[in-house]
Amino acid sequence: MKDHTLRRVYVFFLAIFGVLAAVAVYAVSAINRAQSSSDWVNQTHEVIAEVNSVLSTVRAGEGALRSYVLTGDRRDLAAAREAFATMTEHVEIAKALTRSDSGANAQVSRLEELVNQRSELAERVAAARDAGEMEQVRAMLAEDAGVDAIGEIRRGVERLREEQMALLAARDRESYLQAQKTRWIVGSGVAMNFVLFAAVSWLIRDDLAARRRAAAVLREANEQLDAKVRERTGELAATNERLTAENLERRWANQALEHQLRYNQLIVDSVYDLVFVLTKALNVTRINPAVVHLTGWEAKDLLGGPLQKVLQLEKNEAELDLSPIGPIAQALRDGRELRDRAALIADRRGRRVAARCALFPLRDRDKVVGGILIVHAASVSQEARS
Amino acid sequence: MTLLAGSETRKQANMKKTILHLDDEAEIRELLSQYLSARGYRVIPVASPTEALKAIRQETPDLIITDLQLEDADGLEVVEQFRQVLPNTPVILLTGVLIDPHVAAETVGTKVAAYIEKTASLTKLVDEVKRLVGE
Repeated sequence: MKDHTLRRVYVFFLAIFGVLAAVAVYAVSAINRAQSSSDWVNQTHEVIAEVNSVLSTVRAGEGALRSYVLTGDRRDLAAAREAFATMTEHVEIAKALTRSDSGANAQVSRLEELVNQRSELAERVAAARDAGEMEQVRAMLAEDAGVDAIGEIRRGVERLREEQMALLAARDRESYLQAQKTRWIVGSGVAMNFVLFAAVSWLIRDDLAARRRAAAVLREANEQLDAKVRERTGELAATNERLTAENLERRWANQALEHQLRYNQLIVDSVYDLVFVLTKALNVTRINPAVVHLTGWEAKDLLGGPLQKVLQLEKNEAELDLSPIGPIAQALRDGRELRDRAALIADRRGRRVAARCALFPLRDRDKVVGGILIVHAASVSQEARS
Repeated sequence: MTLLAGSETRKQANMKKTILHLDDEAEIRELLSQYLSARGYRVIPVASPTEALKAIRQETPDLIITDLQLEDADGLEVVEQFRQVLPNTPVILLTGVLIDPHVAAETVGTKVAAYIEKTASLTKLVDEVKRLVGE
């Protein structure tokens, strides 16, 4: 994967994890808030229940006290005391529950004060009743009827309850809004992550497509290179084959030429007549073995030397002004043959013997470069052999 | 894989035309073997008529190439021996300088499928080989 694509993918994944982390943190926070809100709601309900219980136990206690005043039954007194004790307990609980809410706590304190007054009044009434001072009991109850303490407690309870209910309603709205906000944030985070995932997928897909294209281009380049290599290898193989064939042809031609030369040499060496190869200046450049055998001259005595040393022509009248081998030189200059000319062969001992000779010009293309002189000397051979 | 390749090689070798080449000179045998092998022929090089007769009794070649001037035999006599054993196998006679090319057609030309001077090119020899083996 290309570096910049990899960097982009990392950035996208980082963003995805960032969004997930933010959503998670917010969700945990929302859960905590919801938990706190729920605790607060429960506590508020408990406060409401406690103050409601205060009101009911006050009424129950007041009823039992009045029964005791009328009947003098100790069980009613016990019921009144128990109700007032329970009422005090509810007040204590409500006070503890509203410790963190100064306003509510103040109201509960006020209720506690009223309730304590009721409780003290009840004890005084019960004491007067126990003492049989009914006048005093009636006076205390009459005084209390004018105060409307119960009504004040009831109003305090109702006010506190209404305030708590209002707070509950506010908290309920707040919770609803919080839940909506949480839903929106979580939904947005999930949606954003989907978008980011889609972007990363597109990026990876695009990169893979680019890589596939690059691989295809590379493959095509490799195929072209392979084709060129194959083509070049084929050309080299063909060239090598051609060179090998040419080399074999050359070796074949060389061996054929060598054969040809060897056989030609053998043929020349086998000729019984004397064979001289001459330059145009009539110097001897090559002889066959017959010359050595039949004249007694060694090859080194004759090669490079003049022909006149070993051969002279018998001149006819038209050639009197020429040297003894002048007709041969003239024939070579003219590029013509001489046939069946009378000649004298001089052997190593200085004897001269009649012979017949023929000259053939040696041509290199159109130019005469020398000649071949063939001498038939039968009589000399006999003498030379002897 | 090796066995298969070996089998394939043998199959290809069997499909190649076989040429028996008789010459007493090792260099010429080597030259002609290289050249003909490079052109897809299977060459059996032999140095003497005895070897040649032994070889053609073991395997029938598609063509025989023989030298005219052998060290221990006459090429034309050897050709006669070949014809007795393989009357339908064409023979190319390689002639050297010992026979006049102008009269070769009237002499050895009647006894062999083709005669070629040793001074001729290998290309010409192969053309003649192709003609005689039917390619």
